[in-house]
Amino acid sequence: MNQKPTRREVLGHAARGATVVGLGGLGFYLARKASGESVWQINCDKCVNSRLGAVGIEACDLCATECVLALSAVRAVNDHAKCGRCYICPAYFDIKSAVDEEGLPSQKLCPRDAIKRKPIGWIDPDDPANNFYEYTIDEKLCNGCGECVMACKEPAGLTSIRLAVRYDLCLDCNRCSIAIACPDEAYVREPFEKEEAGA
Amino acid sequence: MSAGEFHGLGRGARRARFDSCPPPLKRWATRFSPSKGWGTCSLLALCVWPLALTAPALAQQIDYVRPVDAAPSPEDIGEEYVLPVVQRPLPRPVWRETVDAAVLLGALGLCTWIVLWRRNRRELVLLTIICLLYFGAYREGCICPIGAIQNVVVALTDPAYAISYFAIVFFLLPLLLAVLFGRVFCGGVCPLGAIQELVVLRPLRVPRVLDKVLGLFKWVYLALAVWFAARPAETREFVICRFDPFVGFFRFTGPMHMMLIGAGLLVLGLFIGRPYCRYVCPYGAILSLLSRISWRGVTITPDKELDCGLCAASCPYGAIKDLRAQKSSCLFCARCFNTCPRHRVRGQTGTAPQGSSQSS
Amino acid sequence: MRYRRERVIGGKGADRGQFAEALRGLAIDAQDRLYAVGDSKLVVFSLEGKLLGSWATERPGYSVAVAAAGTVYVGQPGQVQLFDPDGKLLDTWRDADRMGLVTAIGFSGDSVFLADAKDRCIRRYDQHGKYLGEIGRDNRMKGFLIPNRHLDFAVDAAGVIHAGNPGKHRVEQYSLDGRLLGHWGRFDGRDPAGFTGCCNPTNLALTRRGHLVVTTKAEPLVKVYTIDGRLLALVGQDDFDPNCKNMDVAVDSQGRICVIDTARLQICVFAPVDSDSATQPAQPGAGETVRP
Repeated sequence: MNQKPTRREVLGHAARGATVVGLGGLGFYLARKASGESVWQINCDKCVNSRLGAVGIEACDLCATECVLALSAVRAVNDHAKCGRCYICPAYFDIKSAVDEEGLPSQKLCPRDAIKRKPIGWIDPDDPANNFYEYTIDEKLCNGCGECVMACKEPAGLTSIRLAVRYDLCLDCNRCSIAIACPDEAYVREPFEKEEAGA
Repeated sequence: MSAGEFHGLGRGARRARFDSCPPPLKRWATRFSPSKGWGTCSLLALCVWPLALTAPALAQQIDYVRPVDAAPSPEDIGEEYVLPVVQRPLPRPVWRETVDAAVLLGALGLCTWIVLWRRNRRELVLLTIICLLYFGAYREGCICPIGAIQNVVVALTDPAYAISYFAIVFFLLPLLLAVLFGRVFCGGVCPLGAIQELVVLRPLRVPRVLDKVLGLFKWVYLALAVWFAARPAETREFVICRFDPFVGFFRFTGPMHMMLIGAGLLVLGLFIGRPYCRYVCPYGAILSLLSRISWRGVTITPDKELDCGLCAASCPYGAIKDLRAQKSSCLFCARCFNTCPRHRVRGQTGTAPQGSSQSS
Repeated sequence: MRYRRERVIGGKGADRGQFAEALRGLAIDAQDRLYAVGDSKLVVFSLEGKLLGSWATERPGYSVAVAAAGTVYVGQPGQVQLFDPDGKLLDTWRDADRMGLVTAIGFSGDSVFLADAKDRCIRRYDQHGKYLGEIGRDNRMKGFLIPNRHLDFAVDAAGVIHAGNPGKHRVEQYSLDGRLLGHWGRFDGRDPAGFTGCCNPTNLALTRRGHLVVTTKAEPLVKVYTIDGRLLALVGQDDFDPNCKNMDVAVDSQGRICVIDTARLQICVFAPVDSDSATQPAQPGAGETVRP
């Protein structure tokens, strides 16, 4: 038979109810403040691979080596609106390498061969130098080492390639190990809707 | 008679009705207990999570205006060339985050069902391993409810910080389960607990006074974590993430000092059961507080309390006091059931748990 | 041929003789006076560095040239302004379509040639600013390839326009009515006789003896070539800030080369050494430190 609830049980129910209501209230309050998600972004005005003035130095590859993931969540991205679409791109080719018989550098710069080059528009069949070329970075191969970013920087290039955090891969750690290692403090954690600084 | 009515009966009446059921019905009744909803949900969740491993990322395409006219315009390139659109991926796709939350909910429900209804240690170990693989190895230990304490504190103190819905869910869901059933999260779901659970070899008994004193440290740690998370952005420090001893094992890489501390805790865990969970974990501090008022809890006996004392030394975590499971320190490991003679009489599967007559 | 740096003129600052934001154009007149434009002013120096005058221009100056009669032309975005030697504004030619960004000015006979970096071509005008024709546009690329956004050329006494086509790593020769006569130059990342990077040479000037002086960026350097492309000298290997881009150059009657350091906003003056070997071109690389 059901017994009458004791005072202890009533107090227990009341305490539980109050706690559940309190947790629910906290949840609703936070949900109203949840304007989306804060993600890690790279400020290109500070990143040494992108910012003006730092030339003639090795490309910084901390974005590739410091990420906790095996393949870093940072990728190089080519902004096609800024790209010069040059015949000889200093980010695609290693322009210090010897020139082959076609007049192009014989070595490519990307250690993982992640930049793809293809001629666009009307293609001159006689003279390949008469074409514009589109350079796209294959994100499955890129690991964010920054070689092409440094090579594309002014004055050598037009700074159209930059490093960007790919949010679908990033774990969004509270303590981003790349952000901690970055000597230029180029990482910021901003709401996703906010446009990337320097982009 | 419906299942609800069955469990509304007094203890003796339930026993009488159960004994009079034909065997197939008995099996049906034990299989589909009031936790039917939990069981089905969690089974579904377990089936769904492998799909999470294979999915293309959604990308948000944005248009942009040409800021520079040094580069050739599409008109000059000719042949109706169209600028490729810049790819800017969304944060980890929402549906994947939803799957994470569903897995969490399912695992919590499954753990509740396994420990409180099925009372089966083997099934619990299986769940523990699955959760360790999912939240530890696959999700690389991030996001976790322990760390979510900091995210919640930052969201409450910093108006510029946008907390994600799923951080809120990860923080609140185990707390809700604690108010209902106790420290279910610690049982088979928390990956840090899971990794320690698997190395318990010869647990020694910690003297009660020492246990209490050491247990205060997790409140100190909680206070420190809240304090550092509440600071402004320049001086903010995520202490729990920084001093997470086991995340290095999940990711197979980490700072050397933390890997050593983690290894040390695991070695310690061979002889002192789950030292991190009992003495360090700040989320465990909150869970222990809330589980004191839980609606249900672990009962060592499946039905009749004999007060025989055979279970007294069976808990590796010192959670049995006066022959009852302490709600605030019971970590839902399901080890004590085997020592209870009623459990052996009833067979491997148990019946509905008792009411709220246990001590806190 | 060897050159040594004689002096540095100007610098970054707010004085009359200094530039604050940009220094872009350089020219030398028949009296060996140095004209420099940038910010929104025109500054005249003597080659010893003495400030002779400083006048305002309406818009930031990108190029400057001095006609035989002494009129100073300053190329700006959307217009060209003409000044007399005392800095008095004589005329303004405005044409937003055809003078998008005037980055070089040259003269031949009665014609004035303006390089438009926006349309990537050279346009011919008469003395009064009337448009006469285009040079360099009737090709597949619809103009010169200038990712560096600067088009420079020089007109020699024979009426041949030597224009840099940096995207193709070569210098092209055009007749005054726009026919392509020839070109020389090739890409080479190692040999200093070639042009490295994505777009070089950026600026050029002709010497009185018919040599071509070009400047390059991304490892800023000044090079002297014969008219048909044989390398004669490398100048100023370590004298420039590595961030320089589009360094304008001018040569005086003594063969002194003046180059803008666009990062430090100063003008470097290089004087030839070995005046006896200045009469005949030396072998390339002789005695030079060849940069890779």
